[in-house]
Amino acid sequence: MLEPAEMEERYSRQIRFAPIGIEGQLRLRDSAVLIVGVGALGSSLAQQMTRAGVGIVRLADRDYVEPSNLQRQSLFDEEDARAAQPKAVAAAAKLRRINGAVRAEPFVTEVNANTVGALLNGVQLVLDGTDNVRTRVALSDACFARGVPLLYGGVTGSEAMSAALVPGETACLRCLIGGDEAAEPEQTCDTAGVIYPAVELAAALQAAEALKWLSGNRSALRRTWLTADVWHFRLREWTLPEGRANCPFCGGGVRKLSGWDKPFAAGGRDGPAAALVGGKRAAVDGDKLRAAGGTENPAVPREAGGAGAAAEERPPRPAQRDADAPGNSHAGEPEATVLCGRDSIQVTTGRALSLEESETRLLARGCVVTARNPYLVRAVSPEGERLVLFEDGRVLVQGTSDPERAVRLCRMYVAAQPERKSDNGGEADAELERL
Amino acid sequence: MRSLNDCKLYVITGENYHKGRDLLEVMEAAIRGGADIVQLRDKDAAGPELLEKARALRELTRRLGALFIVNDHPEIALAAEADGVHLGQEDLPIEAARALVGPDRLIGISTHSIGQARAAERAGADYIGVGPVYPTGTKPGRPAVGTGYVAEAAEEIRIPFFAIGGIHPGNAEEVLAAGARRLCAVSAVVGSPDPAAVCRELRALIERAQLSAPLPRTGGGRLAKTVVVNGRAETTDADTLQELAASFRFGEKLVVAERNGEVVPRADWTSTPVGEGDRIEFVHFVGGG
Repeated sequence: MLEPAEMEERYSRQIRFAPIGIEGQLRLRDSAVLIVGVGALGSSLAQQMTRAGVGIVRLADRDYVEPSNLQRQSLFDEEDARAAQPKAVAAAAKLRRINGAVRAEPFVTEVNANTVGALLNGVQLVLDGTDNVRTRVALSDACFARGVPLLYGGVTGSEAMSAALVPGETACLRCLIGGDEAAEPEQTCDTAGVIYPAVELAAALQAAEALKWLSGNRSALRRTWLTADVWHFRLREWTLPEGRANCPFCGGGVRKLSGWDKPFAAGGRDGPAAALVGGKRAAVDGDKLRAAGGTENPAVPREAGGAGAAAEERPPRPAQRDADAPGNSHAGEPEATVLCGRDSIQVTTGRALSLEESETRLLARGCVVTARNPYLVRAVSPEGERLVLFEDGRVLVQGTSDPERAVRLCRMYVAAQPERKSDNGGEADAELERL
Repeated sequence: MRSLNDCKLYVITGENYHKGRDLLEVMEAAIRGGADIVQLRDKDAAGPELLEKARALRELTRRLGALFIVNDHPEIALAAEADGVHLGQEDLPIEAARALVGPDRLIGISTHSIGQARAAERAGADYIGVGPVYPTGTKPGRPAVGTGYVAEAAEEIRIPFFAIGGIHPGNAEEVLAAGARRLCAVSAVVGSPDPAAVCRELRALIERAQLSAPLPRTGGGRLAKTVVVNGRAETTDADTLQELAASFRFGEKLVVAERNGEVVPRADWTSTPVGEGDRIEFVHFVGGG
């Protein structure tokens, strides 16, 4: 925590900006944001929030740093790529050097209906740095169900889009673009490419709205959908419609904005912001998240070596999944997700992986381990695919776009008992369950 | 570039109909007479020869402001920077052609029944040919489908369709009366000593049909209206945003729609009316991060 004089010095230019002032600065300090996806947008968003002095910057990302990220993902460097650092972890390390007074909380996790609840706990605002529609719609659902605004941002090629989606005020993303039936876009960054200036434009649009929202300037929020192109220069802005009456998320009968009319951060809610009131910077938020993970839903992410939380201090993971927990009806069955346009499949094994045992196993089965850190093991299979095993039970299979092949590779190299080529699927399932 | 939606008269090359006269000379006359979209069809030429013709026609059409389509050969269409490619029912499937030519180039396909027309619209064709309405020497051996299929297409198909097959100034009115608003001609134009004059005649008939009566297609009295779509004035008979989106091939895509300055939620497209003078934009959702 900075002394008042230090704070006034550090943020002097921002405080001198009349709409923020010292009061806005204090509100920023007492705020918590969640940034989902720490790639190009997420890097820029996280950096802007951290430099601005937002009290807690929570980061959630499922991926790790690769050389092809460095052209536009501003928080990472070559060393991060060499070490295959998870993006959330690498980003948090940089953010702590940028502003030690900000608490950067990294979570190496998939963001889905199972994990999003705990991640949202105690934040006033969510900044979208994701790269796919499925996650965005799930995020929108969760934000609107809890009354937390979502600042959408997206980027492809030289185009940028942004919109502030505010529960009780605007329609939700599900209504605007279609829900589960919504296709992924034809063009993604992996097919159409992306240039960094477009990233910074989208992130700047989001970050400006975030500063308004968090510093007590909510009425200044831009209630529009903005679309821009930095190459064939164009900027268009359209009003956002209100929520749709019969939508369970943004419809009239549902929950409005949480704490809309309450004082900032002191609303007595059980979030990290509450823990900051009065200058106490206890790490209760992380503990609460972890506790939630243990009792409510084993799929809940756990903080990845947060500030001061060394690896050995981590509580043990739940030993096994609770098959009765909501959303866990497929416990033990691998689920393959095609990562659009990336020649990658994410296989969710459904249970935690011991990285040490996994590494031994991979080596014994003829794989070459190319990276190992406290969060993941990366190996090349004899067939040439790359397998990236994360502690939370996810395996990223790179070099194939065939989900069945990805699951099969996991059975051969990740499962406790390797599948022999002649094994049938049923036996393999059983083996995978013994992971 | 001219928009496909504005195109009314489609002329296809047929060099066997004008022996001794230069391809470019004939096609230039057709365009000057009112053809606004032309197609290079040459079943005999291949490779470098075809590409050379395609490039020459591309230059001509660019200069005169007509759309240019290449028959059968996506790779030639790409190499010559044509506006699109035209497929037959036995050619490459639309999806495969789309993968080759990308989202922005036009794909047209010949159809001979309403079933084929529906399939083409679903598969993302930008326009279809409807015919052959009359027996034609261009497609010997293919039975004529008559004006009945034209009426079916007019009733149901939302993407632009061009009636084709044996159409000339003497029978065009019958085709237009069946509901066609766009015509395609081959031998009647390129086989004429005065292609420009034939095109002027056909064009006048199309325009007269448009003025004389609202489209006869629906019992509900669907009216053509002018709306501005992505900054361009377009004539449409779409009643709802959903229909308009479908006619621009956005029906199945992940796009954000805006009408007169406000985003329209996807689920409201079917209930959002499209009225004269509306300004509408469709933009692809930008989803990278």
